[in-house]
Amino acid sequence: MNLIKIRKVTSGIILILFILMFLGAEKLSVSLSTFLLPFQGIPALMHTVTQPEVLFIIGLIFIVVITLLFGRVYCSFLCPLGALQDLLIAGSQRFRRQPGHSYSRPLNGLRYSLLALTVTTALLGSLSLVSLLDPTSLAGRIFTHFLQPLLIWTYNLGILVLKPLNIYLYPKQTAFVPLSVLAVTVVFFLLIIYLAVARGRLYCNTVCPVGTFLGLLSHVSVFQFTLNQKSCSECVRCENVCKASCIDPQTACIDMSRCVGCFNCLNACSKATISYQRRQSQTPADTWSPARRGLILGSITAAASFFALHTNIHSFLGIHTAKANSPVTPPGSLNKKHFTQVCTACSLCVSVCPTQVLTPTFMDFGVSGLLQPKMNYEKSFCEYECNLCGKVCPTGAILALPLDEKKLTQIGEAELLKDVCVVFVDHRNCGACGEVCPTHAIRFVDKQNILYPEIDKQYCIGCGACQLACPTAPRSIIIHANPIHKKAEKYVSAETKVEQKTPPDQDFPF
Amino acid sequence: MTDTQKFNRREVISKALSLGLIAGGAAILGKPDFLLAKEKPAGIPDLVAVKNGEPDVMFKKAIELMGGMNQFVKKGQTVVVKPNIGFPRVPEVGATTNPLLIKTIIESCYTAGAKRVYVFDNVVTPTSGNARNCYKLSGIEEAAKAARGIVVPVDDFSYREVKIPGGKKLKTADVHSLILDCDVFINAPVLKHHSSAHLSIAMKNLMGIVKNRMEYHLTGLDQCIADFCLYRKPDLNVVDAYRVLMSHGPSGPSNPQSANVQMKKTLLLSKDIVAIDAAAARIFGKEPEEIDYIKIAHAQKTGNMNLKELKIVTYAM
Repeated sequence: MNLIKIRKVTSGIILILFILMFLGAEKLSVSLSTFLLPFQGIPALMHTVTQPEVLFIIGLIFIVVITLLFGRVYCSFLCPLGALQDLLIAGSQRFRRQPGHSYSRPLNGLRYSLLALTVTTALLGSLSLVSLLDPTSLAGRIFTHFLQPLLIWTYNLGILVLKPLNIYLYPKQTAFVPLSVLAVTVVFFLLIIYLAVARGRLYCNTVCPVGTFLGLLSHVSVFQFTLNQKSCSECVRCENVCKASCIDPQTACIDMSRCVGCFNCLNACSKATISYQRRQSQTPADTWSPARRGLILGSITAAASFFALHTNIHSFLGIHTAKANSPVTPPGSLNKKHFTQVCTACSLCVSVCPTQVLTPTFMDFGVSGLLQPKMNYEKSFCEYECNLCGKVCPTGAILALPLDEKKLTQIGEAELLKDVCVVFVDHRNCGACGEVCPTHAIRFVDKQNILYPEIDKQYCIGCGACQLACPTAPRSIIIHANPIHKKAEKYVSAETKVEQKTPPDQDFPF
Repeated sequence: MTDTQKFNRREVISKALSLGLIAGGAAILGKPDFLLAKEKPAGIPDLVAVKNGEPDVMFKKAIELMGGMNQFVKKGQTVVVKPNIGFPRVPEVGATTNPLLIKTIIESCYTAGAKRVYVFDNVVTPTSGNARNCYKLSGIEEAAKAARGIVVPVDDFSYREVKIPGGKKLKTADVHSLILDCDVFINAPVLKHHSSAHLSIAMKNLMGIVKNRMEYHLTGLDQCIADFCLYRKPDLNVVDAYRVLMSHGPSGPSNPQSANVQMKKTLLLSKDIVAIDAAAARIFGKEPEEIDYIKIAHAQKTGNMNLKELKIVTYAM
């Protein structure tokens, strides 16, 4: 009974902290991300594989160990999407007379196929399925693409209301989310809502790769839920409260691979027929077999799909296609390959970016990089004095660069199109690009009192400020991505400072 | 601080002459009230320049020489003070107006009886993060609030379109409603190097009250800067030449250590936006004729760039 309370409090706190991490101010996001993210399945796994950090390794071990001990408690205590679904389930039950849940057969074929496919494609270098299905990333996208705009619009509306009272606050801007990306988030959000309301935790039991994987571990967990058929009166109270639909009173079976460890059933059973205790050695073999069948089926599906696509797999996944105008990846992502093979499209960088330059894309990185963000220089620019995205990135796709190093990381290179630029075409001063360049990469050559821009590419870091400032359409200065990030040269001013040591004069030049 | 007042010889003569005329006229016509009322504007210089002081001290002296803030701000009026806060830079870089100066101007407005004093600028590349940075780093937000100034972050909804009468390149502009609705408009730019306009002073600073600044760049920066003054000239211009950014303007480097700044410790005050730009150009070390928008504005009769024709009061501390 108290376990349920602990679960509700823990998952509630996790959900609130997650929302704060995604929607909070810069410092809050960074400090929350350092201790929340290591205890999330996919971030911990990705970080451990690509960029081993102590906290993330501890987190991964922690998740595996608690699952081996207690079953899939991760899904009920730590997963933000799980908490969100529990909220939806609780909400929908207020409008329902009889308790909603009932036993259903596992969809083993589907869930092991999905897990196998996700793992296979990830090993081949495409994280698209991980991005789509991982609960942490999915929750992140729901927060960033839905909740954030709602909150910011409300906030800005409030600002407008306060204006006549002479109270002025800084308006906020929402991250730019293309319609195609928004559509994907909408579809998944609706799916989550529908499944939660109609079928409880079906997403977690069937679609979620983390859930399925932890379900495999739960088979052998130390503590298991067991139903004592002898004392059971088949009142089905436990079945009714089981969000995972994994209790079958008729056969007295509890499917531990699907149980999300919510502890609702313990409380519901008036006779204490259901117990949570150390696993008995004589676990009936037949509860195992459907899962095993599913696993085999899944492996076959994955293998078949692999061979079906094998000939063209890399070009199909867009892994080795270097397009002419490939998107620019954020500073700290090292190169396009590292970025696309580690980013799970959670949109945390998108939501914290103070200039909103990071934009989730639908297929700009190919089918293999669905929803991954790029530097969107048509909408904004990368702030010179900022390295937030690397500080919060859950998976290590964007590494945390020290600010000094970030300021010299060349993620792209500016090109000046002199056949479009107004200064070269009309011989009139413009200079909008040079005004905003933070690295002195744009210098002006004075010819008959007209200032012509020139680019010193060795200083350019590809922040895109010039492209955004350029008034011509199409732009006359554009950033080309560096598929592998380079190091820019540090600008050293040629002129020496004039030190005024003479006492101040009394003269005016007029 | 030596208290020697340095008037131009012409200035002294003209003042003496006008006083003599008044005295004589009053005696002759017997209408001293009428003539005394006329004396006041005659005594006000076209331009005041003060140097070798701190920004607050220099402004107080300059406004005194200009005849006091009461000349510009009347009781119950709303005032807009428009500094240059275009870039996220600390005051030491010289890319933004000195915060102490802004604070002193606001205090002076309230002392003169102003009802409300607003402070705002439309920052270059206005994303929500950048605008906040500019206001905070420049020190102007804090300084203005300390003087009860109302600091207004810009948004897209506050602009109204106006026609520019006689504008050659700039026909219309989207002007911030605070400027359109205020009683007194005080332009408080910083003098600094500018990569594409040579210098940024008072006229260039007015690009921060419009939304369509990119149109300026696209259709001709100098002409548009001059054209805008055909619509609205500030009631008073205060040019901050305390720290002058001599190169890599308008933004300057983010690190103040590498900023090429000269401590000119000068402050200019004028109603004539062309005259003050011309004088500021001289202080920078350039001739007014070298700056296109000053030449154009002079030709368009916005003001007078021939400093010799002006009544200038200078004061060195």
